[in-house]
Amino acid sequence: MQSRASAKALKSAVRDAPMRSALAGGGFSSVCPPAKRINVEDVNDFRRTRADLVFSVFMVCVALFFFAFFFTQTGWEDRKLPANMARYWMDQFGVTAPEGRLSRLGRIIKQGWFAPLVCVCILVPAALWNLHRAWRAQLWRARFKQPTAVGHELWQWLRALEFVAWFVAYTLLVPVLGYLVATLILGTALPWRLGYRGLRWFGICFAASFAIVLVFRTGLQIRTPVNIWLYDQLPQGLETFMQVWF
Amino acid sequence: MEALWAGIDNLASWPVLAAILIGSVGGLAIGAVPGIGPAIAIAILLPATVFLDDLVSLVLLLGVYGSSMYGGAIPAILINTPGTPVNALTTYDGYALTRRGEAARALSLAYAASFFGGCFSIILGLSALMLFGPYLRDLGALFGQRDIFMAAALGAVLLVAAHRKTMGIAALLFGLGFLIAIIGRQTTRQIDRYTFDIEYLYPGFNLIVVIVGIFVISQALFLLTGKDADPPQARLKGGLLRGFGELNRFKPVALISSGYGTIMGIIPGVGEFVAQFFSYSTARAMSREPGKFGRGAPDGLIASEASNNAVPAAAMVPLLALGVPGEALTAMMMVVFFDAGIKPGPDIFDNNPDFLFSLFFALLIINVLVVITLLASTSHIARIIYIPNRLLGAFILILAFVGVFSIRNSFTDCMFAAGFGFLGFILRRLDWPLVPIVLGLVLGSIMIEKLTAGSGQIKTVADLVNRPVSGTLFVVILIVISVTIFTSLRTRRFEH
Repeated sequence: MQSRASAKALKSAVRDAPMRSALAGGGFSSVCPPAKRINVEDVNDFRRTRADLVFSVFMVCVALFFFAFFFTQTGWEDRKLPANMARYWMDQFGVTAPEGRLSRLGRIIKQGWFAPLVCVCILVPAALWNLHRAWRAQLWRARFKQPTAVGHELWQWLRALEFVAWFVAYTLLVPVLGYLVATLILGTALPWRLGYRGLRWFGICFAASFAIVLVFRTGLQIRTPVNIWLYDQLPQGLETFMQVWF
Repeated sequence: MEALWAGIDNLASWPVLAAILIGSVGGLAIGAVPGIGPAIAIAILLPATVFLDDLVSLVLLLGVYGSSMYGGAIPAILINTPGTPVNALTTYDGYALTRRGEAARALSLAYAASFFGGCFSIILGLSALMLFGPYLRDLGALFGQRDIFMAAALGAVLLVAAHRKTMGIAALLFGLGFLIAIIGRQTTRQIDRYTFDIEYLYPGFNLIVVIVGIFVISQALFLLTGKDADPPQARLKGGLLRGFGELNRFKPVALISSGYGTIMGIIPGVGEFVAQFFSYSTARAMSREPGKFGRGAPDGLIASEASNNAVPAAAMVPLLALGVPGEALTAMMMVVFFDAGIKPGPDIFDNNPDFLFSLFFALLIINVLVVITLLASTSHIARIIYIPNRLLGAFILILAFVGVFSIRNSFTDCMFAAGFGFLGFILRRLDWPLVPIVLGLVLGSIMIEKLTAGSGQIKTVADLVNRPVSGTLFVVILIVISVTIFTSLRTRRFEH
């Protein structure tokens, strides 16, 4: 639920945008204010977006992947089960009277494959059910001439990968240049890439990055890489100082 | 009484008091920034808690948890953007009051209601501990492995049922979280589960890696790929104290809303959203002028704020009493308990009663500190709202590295966290809930651990439910499932 409220403004929130209409270049355009009726239910509102179906298909593939490997990756091959399972479950639920000693259910539960089986039993039906709902939402969109193209959404996903690459580059840079230098570089270069340019922004970002290092590394002594190439090039005293505090 | 004084005594140390102060003020600031919730702050701070004393760590996180909702009300009221997701309903009446030029009154009412809600549930908790403390010590005998398994199962069912319009998605993500939790080598039988002979996966995924990825990195990516908001400048006129007097006029609303917050906080998997929903609806039903709701009704604002601030103290109850976290933030706090070697559960009343008093008193101090800070410096805190979103995203990404790498000095952890972050980013884009993954991770592990530990006593299926507590919980599960199916079918029939 975290993203729901923060990601978008509430539909029914009071906005007093004026109703405007104008004749611009011969064409008529108008902007109507949103409805003012307040629905508390909007907090729980959910609308499937265009790429929902794509991701739902992906989640079904994930669920089926784990289901397919359930038989080889969970200890299922070494299972210890009663010979006649149908009869065993009937005995368990009291449908039939057990012949002789009933094997303990606990012996089945503590086998390694039991937890994955529970997971797969939740995951696969839920994924299929979700795909069904996503497919129906897609049909609804098509029927009422709503946009169905997913290109824009997939482009947004790809755009995020650029920042994943920044993060990965940062983690690879830390053992080379040290936590302090790598953080100062990322803390000033990434905002520059985002458009926060000029001396003022540089100063703010530099100070903020330095403060992060001071709080977490110098103050809280959080663990960061030990063998740092840049520190190894420094004189002994300075190297030790940098390793201890930065 | 001994435990009570020992609990107060535990708090009387400089590191603990400093943690309370830093957590409270930090939580306020974090809550005031739209886009950073307490979950992100707690996820970043989790690795740091490894190096701190257990009580210091917990009060630090409690400070962030308990104060962020106060801070979240500021942007909700001033710029119509909730600082934390649970302040969503505050925008309805809070921003309407701001538009009428009554921003200071709205903030003042929000602070008063939050303080009332927060103190209400804490005092209720402390009273329960003092009155029933001696009896609670016997709780350990009443709750066996199967009972705690059933309580965790109830939490899972309630979690799915609470996601009214996304139940399928919530179940799917809960299953995914559960599956992530079981990946690795089963220690007792040396069986590899979904490890695919990858050495990294043998010990399983670290909980913090997944949490930082899903909550922190995903939010950073979300902010980085978005646009900077251009919030309107809000002006504050008038004192911030008068809301405390005005609250007196709305005592029934404040009491009922705090009650809802306390009850919903105690029930695992439900939390602030449902509490707010019930409180707001009830306040509207009680009002003589229901038409004013959403247009600047003070009782609407009070209902929203009192209920969500009553939740943090109440949410500690299932965590401490059963060892079952009810929502994402308490699930994260469980990591601190694990690190500290304290096993939350029924035995805690017998083994660490002073610890419980310490936590509740810490929450009380946090509430007082937060109100004092807000009354003294709201205009300064309100400036935080205007920090550009994408710049925040960049620095959250930097902080995420600290959060992940410091756990076990592993770059592979960072890569997996980035992967989970990307997954979380897609979920955020699609408006899918993130909380079920984290609760799947934690509750799933608890369910399997307790079921396996209690397997010696399980001969037949009936043994799962033939104890008083487990039987009662099982009946509650059946009722919840039945009611959920019934209401879903009825809603669908109306929609058609």
